[in-house]
Amino acid sequence: MKTIFSKILYILAISVLFASCNKNPDITPVNPLAGLTKLQEGYALGASAKVQIWGKKNFFMGYNKLTVVLLDSLNLTDTIKDAHIHFMPVMTMGMGMMTMQHACPIENPDEVPVNGVFPGALAFVMPTSTGGNWTLAVAVHNHKYDKEGTANFNITVDNPTPSVMSVFTAQAADSTKLVLSLVEPVAPKVGMNDIEFTLHRKESMMSWPADSTYTFVITPEMPSMGHGSPNNVNPVHVGNGHYKGKVNFTMTGEWKVNVAVQKNGNTISNNTYFTITF
Amino acid sequence: MLKNLFFFLFIFVAISVTAQKITKKSAAVNDTVKLQEVLVAVTLPLNNNDVVDFYRTNQFSTLDNITARLDGMSLIKRGAYALEPQVNGFSGGQLNVTIDGMRMFGACTDKMDPVTSYIEPTNLNKITVKQGTGSCQTGCNIGGAVDMTLLEPENDSTKTHFSSVAAGYESISQGKNLLVSLGLGKNKWNWLIDGVYRKNENYSDGNNRIIPFSQFEKTNIHSAVKYNPDKISSFKADALFDLAHNVGYPALPMDVSLAQAMLFAVEYQRKTTTELKAKIYFNQVVHIMDDSKRDSLYLLKNKPVGKSDSVYMRMDMPGKSSTLGAYVQLIIPWNAVNKLTVKADNYTNNSIAEMTMHMRYAGFTPEAPMYMQTWPAMLRNVTGIFIENSFYLSDNFTLVANGRVDYNIDNLQSKYGQEQFSVFNYSLPKTQSKLVKSLNLSAQYRFSKSISLIASTGYAERMPTIGERLGFYLFNAYDGYDYIGNPYLKAEKSNFLRADLQFTQSNIKVNFNQSFSLIQDYIMGITDAQIPAMNFYAKGIRVYSNVPNAKLYSADLQVLYSPLKSLSVFLLSKFTLGEINNSDPMPLIPPLKNSVAIQYEKNNLSLQAECESALAQNRINVDYGERMTPAYAVFNVKSGYRFSLSKLAFNAGLGVTNLFNKAYYEHLDWGRINRPGRSVELYLKVSY
Repeated sequence: MKTIFSKILYILAISVLFASCNKNPDITPVNPLAGLTKLQEGYALGASAKVQIWGKKNFFMGYNKLTVVLLDSLNLTDTIKDAHIHFMPVMTMGMGMMTMQHACPIENPDEVPVNGVFPGALAFVMPTSTGGNWTLAVAVHNHKYDKEGTANFNITVDNPTPSVMSVFTAQAADSTKLVLSLVEPVAPKVGMNDIEFTLHRKESMMSWPADSTYTFVITPEMPSMGHGSPNNVNPVHVGNGHYKGKVNFTMTGEWKVNVAVQKNGNTISNNTYFTITF
Repeated sequence: MLKNLFFFLFIFVAISVTAQKITKKSAAVNDTVKLQEVLVAVTLPLNNNDVVDFYRTNQFSTLDNITARLDGMSLIKRGAYALEPQVNGFSGGQLNVTIDGMRMFGACTDKMDPVTSYIEPTNLNKITVKQGTGSCQTGCNIGGAVDMTLLEPENDSTKTHFSSVAAGYESISQGKNLLVSLGLGKNKWNWLIDGVYRKNENYSDGNNRIIPFSQFEKTNIHSAVKYNPDKISSFKADALFDLAHNVGYPALPMDVSLAQAMLFAVEYQRKTTTELKAKIYFNQVVHIMDDSKRDSLYLLKNKPVGKSDSVYMRMDMPGKSSTLGAYVQLIIPWNAVNKLTVKADNYTNNSIAEMTMHMRYAGFTPEAPMYMQTWPAMLRNVTGIFIENSFYLSDNFTLVANGRVDYNIDNLQSKYGQEQFSVFNYSLPKTQSKLVKSLNLSAQYRFSKSISLIASTGYAERMPTIGERLGFYLFNAYDGYDYIGNPYLKAEKSNFLRADLQFTQSNIKVNFNQSFSLIQDYIMGITDAQIPAMNFYAKGIRVYSNVPNAKLYSADLQVLYSPLKSLSVFLLSKFTLGEINNSDPMPLIPPLKNSVAIQYEKNNLSLQAECESALAQNRINVDYGERMTPAYAVFNVKSGYRFSLSKLAFNAGLGVTNLFNKAYYEHLDWGRINRPGRSVELYLKVSY
């Protein structure tokens, strides 16, 4: 009797499981490139791979979410699912003897792709100009064939209006140069929005590591109406130089989010803000 | 001090209850105004029939002109047009304003279009004002109910058709009025149409200064058709269209370019010993408000260039409200001494109001438009049941008990409203429901042929309005604050007591009544310093909140005295006292107001002189933007003459209002803007 009972229970449990599986319609694979455009494409010579760089829009001064697609150069249809990818952005300024080079904050993709592609990020700290040009080298270690190679791209970095990045020198004894980027909101709406920053420190011309030691106070305001909004949540560090909080917009229009960057309770930024219009 | 006063008044009520002796008639506390043909039976106690009879000399009286003279009623004024009714200190969502029992709601977030503004006296047969919680037949409310009964095509066998045209002029505002009504009857069918056109320019006050933005223009048409298949049953259909445009509001920073209402109703009635009435209706209000006529140049500091700069700003605030509803009412005299009334009703209101601000700094491109929903799109569905039983214990004693429950479901129509309110840390559910109820008892006792007393008591709750629940930055020009709704407001509750004392002799009628309401969870805006104001001209933010308690006391005295057949004197005194939180004066409470009128009527001539006066209001609430209002007295004279030429009947009138050109305003007038100065009024009506 007892065994029959437990068998019935077992069958019931299984059928429930199946039923719940059937109800889940999410079988269609996610297209990781939906809404993105191909920005660059080129061979990583020696790695047997073709590198594609996808993004929402062309490279711009600010935090760029970039997606790398690696195609097997033998047939150009198979994607490579196991690889090390390193971004090496370089800005070259000046001419001849006066040349100067620097990089920018980098978030390299993981070895393991997400939905078959490699998401990463770059925070370009200045736009392309007459006096300076960006190149982006993407080093690929193709684990499939255990080959290494680099693809080189000449890229143009736009200067968006309004600006989504602030590069400034801390008003403190160490005069650290900091890079503050606005990551979210991408699609701001009336109501409560997620707000996300990244903060990077300039260690040297080529090294711009993430920094988790700062705090933020945000005060949104609508300059034309002379008012702010209540119940904002100051962003706090969530890892890898990313800070997350909440910002409230009571209406559409042009908002100015003032950001006080603080270290040990002292504000070290000077009049830093982001303009968000929707 | 106030407590003592309340106590004293109650003692007085108590004494009058025990000491007096009276009239049988419908026992409800009910004043009815018949606007067209006025029937006044001498034995009746004084009611508003007499009042309107008194003031009907001017056919062009607006509805506001008439309601201002009813007992218990006051009007909140924001301009020359669309005054908001207040009954014994209650207004807005505390009152039920209905048309033939049909619910209708204004579409303006700033209460600039009370339902009364979409109805004209020519549309109406009568206005019924019920005071207190017992007025819950049309819906749960705590203050009272105003029901306007639309004009009906009469089945008159002596006349197959009638028509009348009238024209009038008001000098102070160059006001032109045109009025038409036509009727036709054939067999079992009767039809009528009535309409008004009014156009007023800016008026001048008693200092001969023009009050800008006090103009308005409106057109109103109402038509009804009635079919009587037999003696006991009838079908009726009504259609009403009201269109006002270019309406100025001198006390507000905005005007109304368009206020439009449509109403359609179909009704079935069957009258045997039991009476059945069933009705289905739909109405829609569109209200377009903007500041395009106002000076929109501001000098603001600290803007793009960081110094004082001139800025152009425009605001558009359209609103829309539509209501679909139905009710069934049965009146059953179930035995010789008991009469039962049962009414079941349901309505669904759909409201939305938006605001878009456009801004441009001189020399810059326009800024991105700023948009918000001041009333997020919302459906409110209310289902109610009303039961009343009148028990005629004896010829002298009648008991009336009634009760009502309303089940209210609020449903947000878009995610926008929910997201908008997330700013205040609310996570709003899409649907919220609430039950409100009302229970009342009233006793009428006739002590003698001439003296009767009606004592009533009751308890009622009312739902917060959409604005009180979900209003989003509603600017109140009176106190200068932006108001924000509170989705979790509790129902407002009132404990109500009233005594009506009536004295009737052949040549004198006296009616003295007192009402007292002890209100719990009184809904009003409380300052919240945490939330920044939305506008550079707003002082701060007030959030609608439940205040633990508030009290309202009202007393009205009406006397109609006719020493001669051709001469009558009418006196009306209204007094209201209100306080919140046991000490603070309630804002927007009128002072003691009196009107005395003498009328002489002989043959075809009528003459009338009237004095309206009010004491100063010094009991004010400074926090809510109130300032003291001085006392005033104004005098009006009117005359009317009737004559006929062949088959045409003529009715001519001449009057002067504010005879001594007094510059004055009432306490409920927003912005302390003076009322019109001396004005000559003329009218001529031709009937066939």
